[in-house]
Amino acid sequence: MDRMDLSCLESAPRSRAAELCPADLMSQSVSGSSFPLPQVQDMDAFQRDAMAYIKPNHGTTTLGFIFEHGVIVAVDSRASSGTYISSQTVKKVIEINPFLLGTMAGGAADCQFWQRNLGMRCRLYELNNNRRISVRAASKLLANTMFSYKGMGLSMGTMIAGYDPTGPALWYVDSDGQRTSGKVFSVGSGSLYAYGVLDNGYKWDMAVEDAIELGQRSIYHATFRDAVSGGTVSVYHVTKDGWTKVRGVDVGQLHYKYYPECDLHPCHGKPPI
Amino acid sequence: MTIIVPSGTGNVYAGSGTIQHPSWSPYDENGGTCVAVSGNDYCVVASSNRLSTGFSILTRDESKIIKMSHKCVIATANCQADRKTLQKTLQTRHIMYMHNHGKPMSVAAMAQLVSNTLYYKRFFPYYTYNLVCGLDEEGKGAVYTYDPVGSYERTGYSCEGTGKDLIQPVLDNQLKASSPLVLPAENWMTALPMDDAVDLVKDAFVSAGERDIYTGDVVELLIITKDGVRTEHLDLKKD
Amino acid sequence: MDYLMGLRGKDYVMVCSDTTAVQQIITIKHDEDKLMSVDDHTLLALSGEPGDRVQFSEFIKANVQLYNLRNSRKLGTKATANYLRGELATALRKRPYSTNLLIAGYDKGKGPSLYWCDYLATMHKMNIAGTGYGSYFVLSMFDRLWHKELTEEEGLALMLKGIDEVKKRLVVAPPSYCIKIIDANGTRTIKTISDSE
Repeated sequence: MDRMDLSCLESAPRSRAAELCPADLMSQSVSGSSFPLPQVQDMDAFQRDAMAYIKPNHGTTTLGFIFEHGVIVAVDSRASSGTYISSQTVKKVIEINPFLLGTMAGGAADCQFWQRNLGMRCRLYELNNNRRISVRAASKLLANTMFSYKGMGLSMGTMIAGYDPTGPALWYVDSDGQRTSGKVFSVGSGSLYAYGVLDNGYKWDMAVEDAIELGQRSIYHATFRDAVSGGTVSVYHVTKDGWTKVRGVDVGQLHYKYYPECDLHPCHGKPPI
Repeated sequence: MTIIVPSGTGNVYAGSGTIQHPSWSPYDENGGTCVAVSGNDYCVVASSNRLSTGFSILTRDESKIIKMSHKCVIATANCQADRKTLQKTLQTRHIMYMHNHGKPMSVAAMAQLVSNTLYYKRFFPYYTYNLVCGLDEEGKGAVYTYDPVGSYERTGYSCEGTGKDLIQPVLDNQLKASSPLVLPAENWMTALPMDDAVDLVKDAFVSAGERDIYTGDVVELLIITKDGVRTEHLDLKKD
Repeated sequence: MDYLMGLRGKDYVMVCSDTTAVQQIITIKHDEDKLMSVDDHTLLALSGEPGDRVQFSEFIKANVQLYNLRNSRKLGTKATANYLRGELATALRKRPYSTNLLIAGYDKGKGPSLYWCDYLATMHKMNIAGTGYGSYFVLSMFDRLWHKELTEEEGLALMLKGIDEVKKRLVVAPPSYCIKIIDANGTRTIKTISDSE
């Protein structure tokens, strides 16, 4: 008989050192049983100082939208620490399973670690219940984890996109614990620029090819304006048959594809004399 | 998070056996540069042996690379205290793994272990920059590059540490291939002949030694091939 | 900017909330429902940090429904409000929920009631109540115009007047709102106002 999985209802540890027990999530047997904390009175100040030293990888444009023929997810691929570009080839779409995608914005390590953790829990759900987890439930697993670490300085803005028996779904989850579903989202430092293009071109009944192009173009324009976004545009399309990666284009090439002559570009300025 | 303790100056004894420091910065910047370049059947890893703090040189003979197996090494730059703790922890875990499984870890597994170990200290990070290098299951050279809290990525070549700003652009210029994210997929690794790669790494260090105060003295090169790990040394200027 | 208003009429309570979900300076959603039914006769109107808001309200909802199931009797509005206040007060000394809320309910035999509660667990029974910057403009208006025998039509007109005032005077006025009513027949949405109106 199918067992009902209520693990998402269990109260997650509420951000106190002694209660943090992700050991089972990570099987850290040698090093101890929880995330060790520095013995300081002002944890916020310590975190601030530590992060100023360490400068973890940051900066992103990601977007996702639902339309008539499924979900489109598009991302850039740049990671920077401070003003240094630490990678141009980051994979910001995390393939949780053939029907679920997660996007990365914020701290690269926070996103990578917790989405991998989410992938594991979604797989365990599948093994326990003999069916795939819904997008709604998967996003809630992640949101509950984030909420339990609220105020500890995690930084993550993610979209969980997928297709389940209820249809296409898109959820926004962040490290404040916010979780909400919607048709159009964009997350990251370049999201304002992406929204500008995306909201303008979005239509519910657009053709698949137009939707893919809209996703790609929105990311391209965000990388043009936002210094900490760039690299390669990746576009994914999710349908009832699961996700497929449909685009992967270097933005350097895209620029000259969209603007083959430089005076076509609005930023082209002729000297006044 | 703020732990509430009785007010007072200096260290406060919180009663549970731990000392609560009002403010505390347990980090030092000890410098150092690590470079790794991989090819079709080899991986070259190098790091300078200088250890410094501020404007003082502490030693000219501090190896920053730990050999985990005949197929995998880890190079770690910056805070020496954290590096020692980290490398010791990883070595212990690796020995346990070998006892349990009767074989050394693959580079991919080691890469994930390093990521988890770094992330485990997310709220009190290791102030280290790491490269995990070796040969993968197919015998191809592999380089994994990290940030201090454990985000990681496989690349063809990488440089971490104080000489990063100087060396990484040179490597990009010589070795950059198309992105692994591009569709349709293109070859994402520029594979040099091994001798050329060794020369490139040596040249990079000689140049970095001229402009980075934390890079100098001696470069230790580990060359990983299917026959094992060979070590070479390259003298840099001692100033 | 979160905006909540509530008023108690003759035989109903009416609550209104904006429906925007905000992330830093971006409105990420225009139809977020911040008016949550705890059961068929109690409604929470919530504002505050998004994570806290949802976690806290779902926690309260789950526990109230659990109580109803276990005891085969329903927790009244007053009991729900006081239970909720207690949970907020307990959390306040551990890890506070940043949630301000209105509790609206209709109890058979007792009639409608409206409670105001902030994140510090201050709670009071009110005839009119509001939170957020918008309420500064509207509370005085409601003080002036509210009376005990307020009918549903008058109540709705008053709410709309309030929304107009907020849109007219508040720099950071939200564009979209939802008004719900709770009376002897239960809870229902009586008006939603979207961006263009």
